[in-house]
Amino acid sequence: MRYAFYIGCTVPVKALKYEVSTRNLAKGLGIELVDIPEFGCCGYPVKSMDMFAALLMSARNLALAEEKGMDIIGICIGCMATLSEAKKYLEDDNLRNTINQKLRELGIREYTGKVNIKHLARFLYEDYGLSSIKEKIIKPLESLKFGVHYGCHYMKPGHAYDYFDNPSKPVTLDILTDITGAKTIDYQNKNQCCGLTIMGTAKDLSFRLASEKLVCLSGIDIDAMLLACPSCCIAYENNQRLVGEKTGKKFNLPVLYFTQVIGLAIGLDEKDLGFEFNRVRADRIIEKLGPY
Amino acid sequence: MQNGFFDFEKEGLKYCYYCGKCSSGCEVNRLESSFQPHRILYLLNIGMTDSVIGGDDIWKCTTCFTCSERCPQGVKVTEIIWFARTMAVKSGHLPELIMHQKETLLRTGRLHHISHIDNNKRGKVKLPQLTDASSLISEIFKMTKGDE
Repeated sequence: MRYAFYIGCTVPVKALKYEVSTRNLAKGLGIELVDIPEFGCCGYPVKSMDMFAALLMSARNLALAEEKGMDIIGICIGCMATLSEAKKYLEDDNLRNTINQKLRELGIREYTGKVNIKHLARFLYEDYGLSSIKEKIIKPLESLKFGVHYGCHYMKPGHAYDYFDNPSKPVTLDILTDITGAKTIDYQNKNQCCGLTIMGTAKDLSFRLASEKLVCLSGIDIDAMLLACPSCCIAYENNQRLVGEKTGKKFNLPVLYFTQVIGLAIGLDEKDLGFEFNRVRADRIIEKLGPY
Repeated sequence: MQNGFFDFEKEGLKYCYYCGKCSSGCEVNRLESSFQPHRILYLLNIGMTDSVIGGDDIWKCTTCFTCSERCPQGVKVTEIIWFARTMAVKSGHLPELIMHQKETLLRTGRLHHISHIDNNKRGKVKLPQLTDASSLISEIFKMTKGDE
């Protein structure tokens, strides 16, 4: 099956390990992700400026995917929430007609509502199937333990995602990690937000939110934090040293994307999973796994 | 009211009875007790919109949607805060970050500009080259008057 790959603005600039590992994992699993150069920003950053403009930007991307006859798979949870919410808004005939008029002015035919939007993790869980992934696992990660961070927009707002996961106690990313043979460890502030969205408008609060979770995860017996969103990764990994400085702590917690972890389990080389871009070195994880 | 499709009423503002369940589940409230989503809703409901859109509180919300999920009345608290932000932006109460983001979006069509350094880095690991996405967003803003 072919899917329109919605890469978003943040991944190709700030999350190369996520992009590299996603592309190679998809290849390894036999999922064809098609790049659509015409895709633009999802609209999330524009929501604070003009909600109608943001919706139009989302709708444009949905219409482009529809024109190509493909459903959307993405890896940024912010983009996925914004596009999924837009899909729900556009179930309103009146609103959809108005948006379609504007789309025609932009040279795009129309959006009729056919496109499905899924985060890759949700797609693997719901469509590709856990048993199909299991069949491909040749290097079980039994020696590894992870603390999973979902990222708020992975499953919220619940209505935009048809409640595929529990908004207050999500499980799907844990289950996906468990099938690699690794263990996932629950921890106290698992549902806490990374705070990155207010980094520019309420810096102190943003650092404190990130710090609290890093403190909690540093205090339990895990090899790394596992996540599925480039923004959360910026908060917890790219900014890890800064967050420590600002809150009087010292952290050394590796942060991996779920695509890197599943990739290891299906036998992909760490070079093909973007480990060279891990800012907090994850060497000890690779060492622990030993030679294949 | 933004082409008539978004406003406080559509997101359920008037159904709020200030039980405070939004605030008691809010991560930001836990760190800074003066930040109270139900208080923002109260002020909007009694018509003190200017004090909401002129203040800092709406820019402290992480948009995590926990409040919207918890609300017993189905009020879309996060969306209401978002809409208040758009009113703030339109009345000129623009935090520096938003101004900066808007400038990048209008200039490049992306949240982050793609530099040749980025493309070099991408090339080294065999990722496709990317370009900035042109005038798309400025076109859209012109259509929706979002640039005013």
